[in-house]
Formats: sequence, structure tokens, C-alpha cells
Amino acid sequence: MADLGIYSLRLALFLCALGLGVGVYAGVTRRDEWTQVAERALLIVCAATSVAMGALFYALATNDFSIAYVAQHSARTMPLHYRLGALWGGQAGSLLLWGWMLTVYGAVAVVGNRSQNRRLMPWVCVALLANVGFFLILNNFVSLPFEARPLSEGHSDGIGLNPLLQHPVMMIHPVMLYTGFTGFALPFSFAFAALVTGELGTTWFRTTRRWTLFAWSVLSVGIMLGGRWAYEVLGWGGYWAWDPVENASLMPWIAGTAYIHSVMIQEKRDMLRTWNIVLIGLTYGLCLFGTFLTRSGIVQSVHAFTNSDSFGRIFAAYVILMLSGYVIALLFRLRSLRSPNKLESVLSREAAFIINNWIFMALLFVVFVGTMFPVFTEMAGGVRRILGPPYFNTFAGLLALFLLVLTGVGPLIAWRQASFASLRRQFVVPACVGLVVTAGILLRFGTAPGYWAIACWGLAGFVLTTVGQEYGRAIGARMRRLDESAFTALTTLLQRNQRRYGGYIVHAGVVVLLLGVSGAAFNEEKIVNVRPGDWAELADFRFHFLTADAIPAQHYGGAKARLALFRGEDPLAVMTPEKRFYWLEQQPNSIPSIYSSWREDLYVILTALEPDGSATLKIYHNPLVNWGWAGGGIFVVGCLIVLWPHPERAATRAGGTPA
Amino acid sequence: MSKGLQIALGVLAIAGLLGWYGYSQLGREDLSLQYFQTLDEFHQNAPAMVGRTARVHGYVALSSIERDVDGGRVRFSVQNTPPHAGGPVGETLSVDYLSLEVPDLFKDGAEVVVEGALEARAGENVFVARNVMAKCPSKFQAQTAPADEASIEL
Repeated sequence: MADLGIYSLRLALFLCALGLGVGVYAGVTRRDEWTQVAERALLIVCAATSVAMGALFYALATNDFSIAYVAQHSARTMPLHYRLGALWGGQAGSLLLWGWMLTVYGAVAVVGNRSQNRRLMPWVCVALLANVGFFLILNNFVSLPFEARPLSEGHSDGIGLNPLLQHPVMMIHPVMLYTGFTGFALPFSFAFAALVTGELGTTWFRTTRRWTLFAWSVLSVGIMLGGRWAYEVLGWGGYWAWDPVENASLMPWIAGTAYIHSVMIQEKRDMLRTWNIVLIGLTYGLCLFGTFLTRSGIVQSVHAFTNSDSFGRIFAAYVILMLSGYVIALLFRLRSLRSPNKLESVLSREAAFIINNWIFMALLFVVFVGTMFPVFTEMAGGVRRILGPPYFNTFAGLLALFLLVLTGVGPLIAWRQASFASLRRQFVVPACVGLVVTAGILLRFGTAPGYWAIACWGLAGFVLTTVGQEYGRAIGARMRRLDESAFTALTTLLQRNQRRYGGYIVHAGVVVLLLGVSGAAFNEEKIVNVRPGDWAELADFRFHFLTADAIPAQHYGGAKARLALFRGEDPLAVMTPEKRFYWLEQQPNSIPSIYSSWREDLYVILTALEPDGSATLKIYHNPLVNWGWAGGGIFVVGCLIVLWPHPERAATRAGGTPA
Repeated sequence: MSKGLQIALGVLAIAGLLGWYGYSQLGREDLSLQYFQTLDEFHQNAPAMVGRTARVHGYVALSSIERDVDGGRVRFSVQNTPPHAGGPVGETLSVDYLSLEVPDLFKDGAEVVVEGALEARAGENVFVARNVMAKCPSKFQAQTAPADEASIEL
């Protein structure tokens, strides 16, 4: 199996280089038969890397510990699904996954454009193959997934996966992030092709729109799942800590979100041509930068970035090479990228979207500076300084409120120039609802929640009312005019205009998610030391500590505490936080027990069993945290509505209009 | 008023608001803190560091962990080099961690980063920590892959 993997990776690299050369030739000579050769090369590279993926999966499934990667990231005692998940548990496997996903998107582009965009395709292939090639170089020469384990090490049953990663979410979270990251390679490649060929109209982003939205949606969900994993595994009662690893995935998301908004302006009004090209380059660049950040350890590691880290240097060289190629192509086309249309009024949807873009860029700046601050301050010759969560919460929080305002305003304000009457028609009711909600919060809680939570609730009232108003008006109009039932009206609405009405649902999901975040203003936590029979209290809940027992031994052992949870006098649940010890990995791991309701979570960690027989517990009361996850669910529904393939549209697409 | 001027005014308004807000927040003590990669670096700066928030990197000295369950705190000391590797211990730093909640990986010899501030107490400087972070022990990975640092992979 190892040999199969090694040789298919070599074949893939060889064909990749070949396809790259042929692609450039086809692009320069504009000969379609050569373009087809480059496309086939891309398809075969996809097939070959798929074989390598299959070989690694097979080796993990069959416990082939003669392969070093398998021995280091898997173990005979681990259940099958975690053994398979170990494919992205380490560097070599993750890079293989990245490269493979790029080839799959490449195959999608090739198959979908057999009879269209023929002038763009050679350059699309070139851009994709250049990216794939880099990962194949890494997998062939630097970070080898199929490297044999030295015989001198003797028998091995594998040293296992980091226990923190042995969680169901970790089976899909990294895959979703990579699906998102690599997905942005498609619009990036088409933008590059547009720059090289000079076909700078709307084709490049219209062709890739569905896949861009798909990548963006999957990346969003991947980030949220990462938060869920942190909440359930890391045991500190929170889901987002502004850690460099988290920021690394958030930065491309911010740029990508700005992009999917600003291309709408180009689509409708043919403005912002240059800006969109810049933005998709920035987005894909940040995807690479994020991977570099987490893989090179430049920020995350407690050790400084050292020159011995060849991986970091190679990756940095690749990112710089890729982006400078793009920027040079961009500079050559700068004149032809001038947009024919200008902004007509500040009171218009274009302006709202442009402001939205500025705020996203400001947010990106805030996150970037915060993440890289230790590196900057050290380069400036001083001690490393760190900007902690208070910095991010202060600045990103404020910008998020601005974005929330625009979430309500942007989709409703008229194109070109909004009249005063239209503003009144659209915004009087939502603004009143927002004010009423704010007043209600102030009356009920006073200023205790802090300005952010209060503003968040007021604005959420405003935005959700705009969404409801849009749906209500559209459904009402259909019911009156076409005599449809409310349900039929709703479903046809979603079918006819899936992007607009799906988009509203996505917005509603984000709003509900932010409401979940606002609950953090009321978080409470405490540490208690209890003996069996003791009671502990937090908020209006009481915990009765019953026992702590040994866990039946498996690939881990440890202790499980039992607590009865009461609200006042009413029994609610038995909570069982665990303290596990993973034998093979020699690593302890605390598993929290979480009691969830729509109002709040109670979250208990068994911190320690003390020598005197008592137990130290950490308990958290996290109000509204489940609104965050619910918001994520609404978000997914919205994305599905936007992306749902539609039979009629598919038919027209086949007829020649690009999707 | 031209569109360009309107936009410029809008940008100025937003930038001004952010700038003012940022400026008003900059004085906050918890916003940024200094990070010392070695204990020696920290010791060199120690007189100036009393009362200022910092993060210090080091290793838990062998058998120095004392859990004070009644007092709700953990005391330990940190040294510059991994104790399992042998070598000179050097100057240590006494840490008073104001919580019983230590990370899973916290134990003798663990690589830790402590966050808090130095406090002068009865002739001795004690680092009062409000946060303790532990890294995966490199021992676990070093058995087979010395170069590969154990870290949470994205």
C-alpha cells in the first residue's frame, strides 16, 4: 500500500508539471486541443492523488504500522473512525488532504466547462496545477505521508492520536475548513485567468459563484464546529478564545464574506471590478496564510520562528510566489479594469455594500494585527507583547455591531438612489421594534449587560424585523395577486429567488448567533471543593455531589463523577463529568458534562480528585449559549436554500448560461 | 457636495469613531501584556515587572506542586530548562496560582506558560498567576519523532 501511495504521488507530481507546461502553451497559442490535454492532466492528477488518499486511508484502517505516519498518528486500540480521522491528525496527511481537495475542485471546473469559457480554461488549469503542484512537492519531498518507519524502532502498535482530537467533531471540522479554504482556489484561478486573457467582465465570478458560495458556507460551518469542539473538549467553558489557530480560519472567512457581498455590486451595477479581483486574491492568500500560520508555528508555538524550520520557509516562499504572480497580472490589467459606472448616491444599496466592505476590512485588520502582534513587537526589537481577548472583544465587537446595522439596511435600501419615502416605508417599523427591544432590555436588566449586549439585542430586533417584513410583504403580495396559499407563496418565493430569500435566512442565522454570543455578558463560573453528599450552588441551580467512580478501562481509564442537578427544588438531570487518562498517549483529558436548555447551559468539569477524597469541580452557567448553535443551524438552512440545485435552472444552465 | 467628498466624510467619521474608541481603550491594563520566552529574560527585568501583567514560559520544577484545597490555590515553581533533561536548574520562579483549576497537562516537568503579575511578598518575589497554560509534553512525541512538536493540529 505504501508503494502504491508513493508512486501515485510521484505520478501526480510529474503529470502536474506536464499539465502546467501544456496549459501555458495552450493559453499562449490559444489552441483548444492543447487546453484539453492540460485539462486531462488535471483529471489524472486528481485520480492519482485520490489513489494516494485511498492508500493512506487503507493503511490507517488496516493498522499498517510499517508506515511512520500511521504509527505516529494512529493506534491499534483506537476505534476505526478515529483511525481514519488520523489522516488529518498530522502534517503530512493534512497536506495530502489539501492537495487532493484542490484537484477535486479542479476536476469540477474541468467537467463543468467542457463547452464554455474555453479561453479561460488553460489559465484556470495553470493556476490550479501550480497550487496542486506545491502541495505535491511537499508530499513528495518534505512531508512524506508514506515514509517507512525505521526497522530499528522495533514493533509498534502506534502511539495514537492526540486525545483532544478524539472527538466526533474532529472527524469533520478539519475537512470542512479545508473544503472551504481550497474552494476559494476556484474563483481565484478564474480571476487569474480573467486577468491573463483580459476577459474581465462578469464571467469569471458568475461561473464560479455557486462553488464560491459552497466553499464559503462550508468554511463558516467548519469554523462554528471548531467552536463546538473547543466547547466540548477543551474544558474551559467557552467556544472562542481568539487563539491564533482560530484567527487563522477567521481571516479568510472575513475576506471571503466581503467578497461574496461586493461581487453582487459588480453583477448588478458593474462597479468595483478591481476591488473584487483584489478581494478574491486576498481571500485565497489568507487561506494559504492561515494554513502557514498553524503549520509553521510562527505564532502558536512558544518558541520563536527558527530558520531550521524548512517547512515554514518553503510555505512562505510559495505564498509569496503565488500572490506576486497574481499581483503582477493584476497590475498589467489595471487600466482595463476601470469600471464604467460610478457611485450615484451615498443613500443607496451600492454605498451600503461598500461600507460593509470597509468594515469587513477593518475587522480583518483588527484580527490580523492582534494575531501577528507578538511577531511585530519582537521584530521591532522588544519583548513579545500579546494582545489578549479583551483587545479582540473590544474592537471586533464594535465592528460586529456596525455590520449588524448594515445586515438590516443593506438588503432593503434601493439601488442607485434611495428616496426618502422608500426609506420610511422600509425602515420605520424595524427601527421602532429595535428601539422597543432596547428599551425593554434596559427596563428589565438596567445597564448590567453592558453596552455591547444591549446594542446587540436592539439591533437584532431591527434586523429580524426587516427580514420578517420582507418575507411578509412578498408572501402577502403573492397571496393577493395570484391567490396562492401562504405555504405555496413561501415555497415558490424560495424557489424563484433563492439567493435573496436564502440570504435573508443566512442573515437571521448570524443575528441569532450573535444573540448567543451576547449571553456571555451573564456568564458565571465558580470552583468548588466537595465531598460526597455536599451541595454546591450557582445562579439558581444546586448541585448534589453523589460519587466519583472508576471508568471501566478501555483505551483510556479514569474517574467519573456523578452530580444531581436541581433548579431550586426540581431535579433536572444527573451530570457525569469525567477525568480520563489515555494510556498509550500518557495524557489526561477532562470531559465536561453539559446540561443544555434553550435558556442556558450548565457545564461541569471534574478538575481533580484530591488525595483527601474530595473532588474539585469547576461549574459554569452560560446563558443563551445554545442560541449560538441554533443560529448556526438557521445559517445552514439559509445556505442550503441559496445553494439548492433547481431543476429549471439546471436546464437553462445546460442551455448555455453559466451558473 | 460631490460623491467623493461624501464618501471621504463617511470614512473619516468611521475612522474617527474607531480611533477615538481605540484611544480611550488603550490605557486598559488587560488589553496587552508582555511575553517572556525564557525565565532568565524575565528575571533580568524583574525589578521593573512588579505589578505588571506578563506571560512567562518555563517548566514545572520536580515535586514543587502543592495543591492547597482549602485556600483554593496551587503553588509551584518554574524553571528555565526541562527538569527531565538534567542540566542546571538555574534561578526558579515561585508561582502562586489563585485557582485549583489546572490544565490536564499540568504536572511535574510540564512545559507551561503562566500569566499574571509579580508581587513582592516578605522579601521574596512571587508570581501571582491568574492563568496557567500547559503544552503537550514533548516526551510523548519525542519517542519517535523528535522534530515534530506535539500541538493541536488545525
